[in-house]
Amino acid sequence: MMRFRLEKRPEPSKLMLYGTPVAAVVLTMILGCLLFSAIGYNGLRAVQEIFFTPLTNPYKWQDLGIKAAPLIIIGTGLSVAYRANVWNIGAEGQYIIGALAATSIALLTWGMSGWWILPLMAIAGMLGGMAYASIPAFLKTRLNVNEILTSLMLTYASVQLIYYLIRGPWKDPMGIGFPQSRLFSEAARLPNIIPGTIVHLGVPIAVIVALIAWFVMSKTVFGYRMRVVGAAPHAARYGGFSENKTIWLAMLVSGGLAGLAGMLEVAGPFQRMVPGFPTNYGFTAIIVAFLGRLNPLGVIVAGVVLAITFVGGQVAQTTIGLPDEATGIFQAMMLFLLLAGDILVRYRIRRISPEASAGAA
Amino acid sequence: MPNRLELTGITKQFPGVLANDHVSFAVKPGEIHALLGENGAGKSTLVKMIYGIMQPDAGEIRWNGEPVVVANPKAARKLGIGMVFQHFSLFEALTVLENIALGMDAKIPSRELESRIREVMETYGLALDPHRTVATLSVGERQRIEIVRALLLNPQLLIMDEPTSVLTPQEVEQLFTVLRKLAAEGCSILYISHKLHEIKALCDTATILRGGKLVDTCDPKQETSRSMAEKMIGAGLKDIVKAEGRTFGPPKLVVNKLSTIKTGHFDVAVDNVSFTVRAGEILGVAGVAGNGQNALLDALSGELIGDDREAITIDGFGIGLMNTTERRRRGLCAVPEERNGHAAVGDFSLSDNSVLTARDRLGMVVLGLINSGAAKTYTGKVIADFAVKALGPASTAGSLSGGNLQKYIMGREILQKPTVLVVSQPTWGVDAGAAAAIHQALVDLAAAGSAIVVISQDLDELRALCDTLAVINMGRLSAARPVKEFSVEEIGLLMGGVHGSMETA
Repeated sequence: MMRFRLEKRPEPSKLMLYGTPVAAVVLTMILGCLLFSAIGYNGLRAVQEIFFTPLTNPYKWQDLGIKAAPLIIIGTGLSVAYRANVWNIGAEGQYIIGALAATSIALLTWGMSGWWILPLMAIAGMLGGMAYASIPAFLKTRLNVNEILTSLMLTYASVQLIYYLIRGPWKDPMGIGFPQSRLFSEAARLPNIIPGTIVHLGVPIAVIVALIAWFVMSKTVFGYRMRVVGAAPHAARYGGFSENKTIWLAMLVSGGLAGLAGMLEVAGPFQRMVPGFPTNYGFTAIIVAFLGRLNPLGVIVAGVVLAITFVGGQVAQTTIGLPDEATGIFQAMMLFLLLAGDILVRYRIRRISPEASAGAA
Repeated sequence: MPNRLELTGITKQFPGVLANDHVSFAVKPGEIHALLGENGAGKSTLVKMIYGIMQPDAGEIRWNGEPVVVANPKAARKLGIGMVFQHFSLFEALTVLENIALGMDAKIPSRELESRIREVMETYGLALDPHRTVATLSVGERQRIEIVRALLLNPQLLIMDEPTSVLTPQEVEQLFTVLRKLAAEGCSILYISHKLHEIKALCDTATILRGGKLVDTCDPKQETSRSMAEKMIGAGLKDIVKAEGRTFGPPKLVVNKLSTIKTGHFDVAVDNVSFTVRAGEILGVAGVAGNGQNALLDALSGELIGDDREAITIDGFGIGLMNTTERRRRGLCAVPEERNGHAAVGDFSLSDNSVLTARDRLGMVVLGLINSGAAKTYTGKVIADFAVKALGPASTAGSLSGGNLQKYIMGREILQKPTVLVVSQPTWGVDAGAAAAIHQALVDLAAAGSAIVVISQDLDELRALCDTLAVINMGRLSAARPVKEFSVEEIGLLMGGVHGSMETA
C-alpha cells in the first residue's frame, strides 16, 4: 500500500500560493460538471454557460463590471482585515447600513441638486459601515467577544432595519403601497460613465480602491502593521503595534469599504432602497478576498471571477433551466477547494518509501 | 563483549545540506559517551536516527553486535534505547504519575506503575512526589520525570540531549550522580552537550562532529576545554576582549520597585524589583527558567506596561508608561528569548524584520511610508557585520537556522546603538564561534557607553560577560553585586531559592 505524508516546506511555495486559486477554479468546473450531470442536467453546458458565456458574449461584459465592482470594494476591505487575523464576517451588514446611511442623505436632499450630494452620500455610506463595524470591534476589544459571531449576527439585524424603514418612515408616498423608498433625485444617482450601457461610476472607483489598498498594504506602516499582527501577534506587540488598535483599524477599514460599496450600489443600479437590496455581496466578498490571496490586486481578478459566476448563473437559468442556487453551489465549492488546497503552500505531499514503513513492527 | 551501539558510515542528506556524512563510532556498555558539536553539526540528526525518528540514507546501526533497523521510537524503546529530550513533553495541569502513565507504551495499572516509579526513584535518588502537579515543579524536577520515564523501561542506552541547560549547579551535580550510577550498572549513556567542563567531568569518551562529519573521537579527560572547543569549531577560539579596570559612568537605567501583574495561570510575575545599570556596565540576571525572566523582559521592553511612570527611568526620564515604540525612541531596545514569532516574524523577509524594531530609530519611515531601501541597506549591514548566513535581506527569517536568526536579531538591535539594551538568552542555541562574536559585540556596545542587561540561564556566559550579577527567583531579584564576589555555589543557592527550601520541607 502506498502511504503519503505531509512534509513542511522550508519556505512557503510561491508556485502553490498563486497556483492553488487557479487550480481551485478549474477543479470547481470539473466537479460542478460532474455534480450537475449526476442530478440530471447537462453538466458540460452548465459549466460552459456559467464560466464562459459571460466572457465570450460582449453584451455580458457590462454586467460583469457592475457585479464585480461591489465585490472588489468589499473584498479589498476584507482582505485588509483578514491579513490582520480580524475575521469580519459581517460585511453584508455593513454594506446594508452604508447603503441606508447613503439613502438617508438622498432622501434628505430629495428634490435638490448639486455636485456635493453624491460625495456626501459616499461619506455617509462609509461612516455607516464603520459605525456598524465598530460594534463588533468594541465588543472584541473590551469584552473579548468573538467578532465572527457578532459581525455575522448583526447582518440579520440590519436586514430588519431595511424592512422597517421602507415600510415606515421612508415609504414612498407615490409607491401605491409598495415597500420601497422614493426614487432618488438625479443628483443622488451615480452617472453612467459609458453612454448606452449600465456601467456606472462605481466600476472605476472599485479598481482605484483596490490599487490604493495595494499600495497602502505593501508600502506603508499601516499595511505593515496589518501584516505583522496577522503573521505573528506576539512579534507585533514587541514591534510596538497594539492588538486592540489593530482590531479597530481592521474593522473600520473593512466596514467603511463595505459601506462605500453599499452607497455605490444603492445610488447606482438600485436608485432607491427596496426589500431586495441585500444580495449577499458581503458574503460573496469573503470568497473574493480569499481567492485573491488577501492581496488587493488579486482581489480585482477574484472579483471578476465571482462576477462571472453570478452573471453566468443567470444565463444558465434562462438557457438550461439551472436553479438559482447553482451559483451559490459553484461559489461555495470554489472557496472550499481553495482553502483545502492552501495546505500545499506550506506543505508538500511526500510518498513514504515502502521499505521504511515495512520496518515498523 | 560487543559494543552496545555501533554506527558505521551513517549518512543523511537533507535538501541542500548533508547533515551526516559517513559518521562511524561505537558506544561500549556502561560507557558515558559525549556527542559534541556546534549547532548544525549534525548531532540532533544523528540521535534522531538512533532513536528511530528518522532513517539514515546509508550506513548501518548495530545494537549489541546485531545489525538493526530502528523503524520508530517505539521500536527503539523496545530495543532498550531511552531518550530524554531537551524540551520536555509534559502536561502542566496533570500530576507526575499521570504524565508518566500517558507516555508508557504498555498499559500498566496506576498502582503498579506508582510502585515501580517509587522503586526507580529510590534506586537512583531521584526525589519526586508522584502526586504533585507538574506546574508546581521546578525545571530540574520536571527533567527528573523524563528521566524516570526513560528508566522505567530498563534502558541499555540512555540518550540525554543538552540536559543541563536548564539546571542549577546543584541540580547538575545531582544529575551527574544519577548518570554515574546508571553507567556503573552497565547502562550506556550518550550525552549531548556543548558545555565542555561538564563533559570533562562526566564523560569517558567524546565524539566530536563538525559540519556533519566526525572530526575526532577523544578522551575528554586528556583534553582541555579549549582544545575540544577548537576541534568543534575547527578554528582558534577568541576570548572576550574586555578592557581591564573599566570605570562605569552615571546611572543609565534605573528600575525602582517594578512589579507586574500575572497574565497567565502558570506565569510568574515580577515582584518589587529594583536595580541600577550604569553607562558601560553589563548586568547579568541569573535564574532558572520560569522564574519571572519573561515578565521582567516584557516589563522593561514595554510589552507589559505598568502603572508607575517612575518605576523605570532612562537617564532620569520616566518611561514606565510608554509602549515599546516610545521606549525605543528613548533608546531602550530589547531582545526577547523566543526568536521566531516574538523577536522576528518567520514569514517575513529579514528586511521587513528590520522594520519591526528599527523603523523609528533609523528613519525607515517617512510620512507613514516605509523606506524599503533603507531597511534593505541596514539589513545588509547587519548580515555582513554579524556574519549571518543568509542569502540576503530578502530571505525569510524562518529559513535561517536558530543560531543565524539569533545573530541577525542581536545585530539588528546592537547596530541601532541603543542607550540601554536588554537581552534574554543572547546565545541560546548559538554555536561557540557565533556566541563569542555576540559576546564581543555586547562588550563593545557597553564600552561605547551603553547600559546592558543580560538575562540568561547560562552561568558560564554570565560570569564571562557581566560586570555585576543579580539572581531572579520566583519573580524577586537579589541585590546586584560585582560578579567576582559570587561563588558558583552561592549563585546556585540563590537560583534554587524557594524550590530548594520546598524540597527540604
